[in-house]
Amino acid sequence: MSELPDETSLWREIFGRNEFDDRIDTQSDITNLDAFRLLGRCVMLIAEVRGLFAAKFVLQLGLVFPVLLLPWMAKIVVDNVILAQPFGTTEVLYPPFMNPILALVQGREPMDIMLILTTIYFVMLVTIGSRFGGTGASLLDGRDAATQSENATSQGGSEGGSFWGVLEFMVNVRMTQTLANRIRSRLFDRLSRLPMTALDDQRIGDSVYRVLYDAPSAPRLAFDLTFAPFFAALSALLNLYILQYSYGDVAPELIWIAWATVPVAFLTTFPFSGALRRTNQNKRAAGSATTNVMEESISNIAAVQSLGASKQERERFAERSETAFQRERYAIGVIIAASLLNGAALGVAGIYVTILFTDQIIAGSMSPGDFAVIMGVFYGISWPAAYFGAIWIKLQEAVASVRRVFFFIDYDVSEDCGGELKLTGVSSGIRFDGVGFNYPDGHTALRDISLSLEVGQLVALVGPTGAGKTTLAYMVPALLHPSSGRVEIDDVNLREFDIDSVRQQITYVFQEHILLSETIRENLLLANPDATESEMMSALRTAGCMDFVTSLSEGIDTVLGRGGDTLSVGQQQRLCIARGLVRDSSVLILDEPTAALDPQTENQLVASLQAAAANRLVIVIAHRLSTIRHADRIVFLEDGMVRDLGDHETLMASDGPYREFVELQTGEDQ
Amino acid sequence: MQDLSIFESSDWQGDGMSPPTMTGRKMLRLSLRTWPYMRPMLPHLMVLLAFAFSGALGGMLTWFIGTDLFTNKVLLGQKLQPLQAVVLFLPEEYVVENVGLSDTSELSDEHGSESQDIPTEGQPLSPAGAKGKGKGVGKGEVQDLGDYKPELTDEQRRSVRNRLLIWSVIGGSIMTVVFSVFWYYTTWIWQSINQNLRVAMVERAESLSLRYHDSARVGDAIFRVYQDSAMIINLLQSGIIAPFWALFGIVMGLVIVAAFDPWFSLMVIVVAVPVVWLIVAATPRIRRRALANREANSDLTSRTQEVFAAIKVVKANRAEARVFDRFTYDSAKALDAAYYLRLDVVILTAIVTFLGGSLFLLTEYIMVAWIRVERETFLGAAFAFIIGFTIWNFGALQIARGRVEDLVWGARGMVGIWMRVQDLFVALERAFHLLDIEPEVIEPEDPIPFPKQIDSVTWRDVTFGYKADQQVLSDISLTAQPGTVTAIVGSTGSGKSTLMSLLLRIYDPDSGVVAVNDVNLKDMATDDIRANVSIALQKNVLFNDTVTNNIAFGSAITDQSAIEAAAKISQADGFITEMVKGYQTELGERGGKLSAGQRQRLSIARAVVRDTAILILDEPTASLDARTEQEVLRNLAEWGHDRVIFLITHRLSTIRQADQIALIEDGRVAEIGTHDELMGKDARYAAFVNAEAAGVPS
Repeated sequence: MSELPDETSLWREIFGRNEFDDRIDTQSDITNLDAFRLLGRCVMLIAEVRGLFAAKFVLQLGLVFPVLLLPWMAKIVVDNVILAQPFGTTEVLYPPFMNPILALVQGREPMDIMLILTTIYFVMLVTIGSRFGGTGASLLDGRDAATQSENATSQGGSEGGSFWGVLEFMVNVRMTQTLANRIRSRLFDRLSRLPMTALDDQRIGDSVYRVLYDAPSAPRLAFDLTFAPFFAALSALLNLYILQYSYGDVAPELIWIAWATVPVAFLTTFPFSGALRRTNQNKRAAGSATTNVMEESISNIAAVQSLGASKQERERFAERSETAFQRERYAIGVIIAASLLNGAALGVAGIYVTILFTDQIIAGSMSPGDFAVIMGVFYGISWPAAYFGAIWIKLQEAVASVRRVFFFIDYDVSEDCGGELKLTGVSSGIRFDGVGFNYPDGHTALRDISLSLEVGQLVALVGPTGAGKTTLAYMVPALLHPSSGRVEIDDVNLREFDIDSVRQQITYVFQEHILLSETIRENLLLANPDATESEMMSALRTAGCMDFVTSLSEGIDTVLGRGGDTLSVGQQQRLCIARGLVRDSSVLILDEPTAALDPQTENQLVASLQAAAANRLVIVIAHRLSTIRHADRIVFLEDGMVRDLGDHETLMASDGPYREFVELQTGEDQ
Repeated sequence: MQDLSIFESSDWQGDGMSPPTMTGRKMLRLSLRTWPYMRPMLPHLMVLLAFAFSGALGGMLTWFIGTDLFTNKVLLGQKLQPLQAVVLFLPEEYVVENVGLSDTSELSDEHGSESQDIPTEGQPLSPAGAKGKGKGVGKGEVQDLGDYKPELTDEQRRSVRNRLLIWSVIGGSIMTVVFSVFWYYTTWIWQSINQNLRVAMVERAESLSLRYHDSARVGDAIFRVYQDSAMIINLLQSGIIAPFWALFGIVMGLVIVAAFDPWFSLMVIVVAVPVVWLIVAATPRIRRRALANREANSDLTSRTQEVFAAIKVVKANRAEARVFDRFTYDSAKALDAAYYLRLDVVILTAIVTFLGGSLFLLTEYIMVAWIRVERETFLGAAFAFIIGFTIWNFGALQIARGRVEDLVWGARGMVGIWMRVQDLFVALERAFHLLDIEPEVIEPEDPIPFPKQIDSVTWRDVTFGYKADQQVLSDISLTAQPGTVTAIVGSTGSGKSTLMSLLLRIYDPDSGVVAVNDVNLKDMATDDIRANVSIALQKNVLFNDTVTNNIAFGSAITDQSAIEAAAKISQADGFITEMVKGYQTELGERGGKLSAGQRQRLSIARAVVRDTAILILDEPTASLDARTEQEVLRNLAEWGHDRVIFLITHRLSTIRQADQIALIEDGRVAEIGTHDELMGKDARYAAFVNAEAAGVPS
């Protein structure tokens, strides 16, 4: 739970690093160097969409040049049509690219000139949508990062319109989407492969948030970095050239001012970098925390209602949602401050330029028509300048969320990877050789376990709660790796096998009954996608499910409620066992399979397991005597060590901990 | 991973569905439903509206005057209108003479500017027009090129400019600061409104019956609460204000353009007809795509949540690759939906732009032609005191052309607004759908308080089924007295847990009555009931929180000693204090850091700490070993000796000691009595006991 200390000042809340629900991703500060590295990685992502990127680049580039014509054509309209002056009456020179048009219109009557210009305008309108350019479609969104992510994922547009604009739009949107798709899929994949020890600390809501709401920042970063600066720079350079060419002699100061706006814009926004990143990280972490609560409450709604906690959970949600909104506002506040400074600097430049050129017009060295050109040119320069400033702001925002994405993409899952060997079957058995295990928080679960379990046996792992039974069992399908010692399958170190193949041959049925909200058939197929109808039926029968499955109206195609809640706990347990059985693997591990079963069902199950153990290794974790006494071998664990080993009769004959354990159970039944 | 194509979609089904209907009445109804969430912020909204309105109006006025001042007066050197001189604090000599009288003046050969050889300004107006309100004088006279004489001296023009700039700076700075404050302010307002709706939705979601939740995906609720509810903040702005404002702008534009010349207005209207028709025709399609977009993204959210919730099973079954495929499929579907929705909007906008743009170019041409012949504007004379647009001049062109341009942009904007509004209402409908679902368990108008002293807990002829065709409980009757332990036994799926959930009023019985002290539970508030009946669930659900908070979950208990006492009873205190952070240890997602036995003991502590008169224990010791189980049960017996305790279990040792045992079979109480009585009957219970005993050696 996030508990900010009472003495937190507002300053710290806004600009400091706030604690939320993250337990794995705790170092969230980003230095400027980190920021550049992240930006670099995002730029490299462009290589994955080279084709679309090239197309977008060409299309956007193509629009730059026609736009340059417009202010000059406007000048002609004012000077030579409305004011009807002949050409060449001012000192201002038309840039060379205007020559073809000038050739067409020079020497004609004003209205003829207008007709020609209008025709040109029309052609430009139809092809590239000039004068009414801009193609884009974004949906309305909300006032927080999560609700803005849909637009971010499908971002794209064009400066132009009509055919050109629509084409560029299509290319751009697909490009953004493709990149967003790849990143979020990659992140999803990584998160789904986190090692078991990390899964406890990683919140489901946080995973959802990162995949769906943080990932779209990556393409944004990739394109904002390459496109915008490039075209901004290009526009700036072109307009500077025009200024120089046409107005260089008349107003050289304009040139200097124009050059100066760019670094000024950057300087006014750079100091805000750290604050921008911090506030953004905080706002996203707060959003994750809100998602965590929502996800947890609704997933466990039965418990929430039964325990009378609806009001409490609602208040917890309201509090977190409010916090998320608040952090969003803080982020906006910083952006406003940075933008204000940026705008003020450019405003000053704009005023100076206005004074400059109105002086020229009043003095007569420029025409009113030049006003249109100047405005166009100055806009062409100050827009990139403002953009460079604004870019830096946007980048910091995006960097914070991209870091959250790459954190898990980079997360070390080598624990989960194995070797190259493929396991095709277990023929002799599993051996534990001096195995010990410590949890990351220091708790020692197992000490120096040495055991040999053979195929063809039904083994029971028994012991008081917290003895380490589940921990030991997790090691067999390599869900956990020993901290010391080794686990061997058929005399080969488990580490040398490819983990996928290991889990193919070793089935683990968990203590917690996790079922997907799909049909029973699909739940079974998740375990074994190649299972035939008869295999599924036989597994269901063995697990004792047939009675309730046949009573369901759609039988095996019944859709289970969310989390399998349409069934009683005992039915869920049997279904999970059936899911394990349908895999038909060499090793079958069942963790407390009979906890929720009544005695009759339990007896049937145990009998089936005995039969199954004929040519497999079946390991059962239990502490009900009725389950364990039929095992071929009983391993009694206590405090992480093997205290007793043997079958039931042998152990009862000796005077060990197992006997004591049994007598406790049976003693009360006399 | 499949690639997204520009031209095709992958397995696109969006076109198959019928478009959601959205009549005007429905839109109105949805808009009205948002009222309760907006009402708390009403004063702030009024401030916002007032500011926006006055700002826009003031902005337009300033723009008009400023344009005239800048283009005609500074750039071209004409004299000021009287009011303009007042605003700029300039003396009489700046003002145009003979306001209201027509005058002829000769074309002057003098150049107005000093130092230039080349005449730089052409003459946009006739000389009479330069004086302001000449009525038609100079009409028909062709301009003499190159003879333009600015009326103001250079000094004067500079002074006009400087004052104009000073005003701009002052105005600009003030507006910037005000704008920034309002940016923050509006964000706060909209967020508050959104928050109101979100909380209401979560509250509703949490009170809905489990039957609803069973068939609803978690991601769907998350999506509705996040994405769909967010649209409420856009309702006022984009759903009401923006279309209204756009319409207002269009009307104003038409009026102003008509003031210049009514023919233009007519042309605009002629072009507007096909535009409007297009928009209307495309609307159902847009709605369909908007809905498909939302549903696809909701599905993706659900898929993501479900995989992460079931991640252990995914790992153990090496199904990572398969769930990955499903994810990418859902992801591509969502992206396609987003793409096609936007593409439709973009194409429509392009068509509208083409129509409007062509109109614009035509009017521009005509206007320029009229400037050349100095045609009179329609209503220009009426406003000459403040604006100098009696006949067509450069300034008039700027304004009139600007208005037509705005009309075209306005039309484009309307397309966008209209389309977004469709999406908005689709979203609002989805959001309110959640609020429309009635919870099954209805709170009574005047709840009777839960009795302090319990005399009896009764189920009387209760029938219940989750689905209509499947009864779980049939005419079941059971009574328990305080100070007794009632053991409920039966095979799995026989309805034991369901029976207990009726006592918590998770469901109401289909028929029959569940009562405490003969007061029907339906007459009591659910919160009250659940505060007085504690349960240790069969599925030991723990939350990612500290041990203390988990034990206190759902109760308002903050007393640490009470919590620790409860933990001692459930034999949990031992392992808790052994942990490094003790009671402040965080338990991990779904309580994953504890073993099953430890979780179970925490669940028991949670039930015990509430100190209620009625206690339900559902398989409380299934995961405990024999010794721990014995200790826990002994503690519970001591602690619970005045209470009504229901115990669902298979453990014979525990059952034997119960005060009454109810054997449930086929949804009924098959047998009831003490252990000895039932063994004496030698019927089902005896069979049950023998089966259990068969597993136990003598």
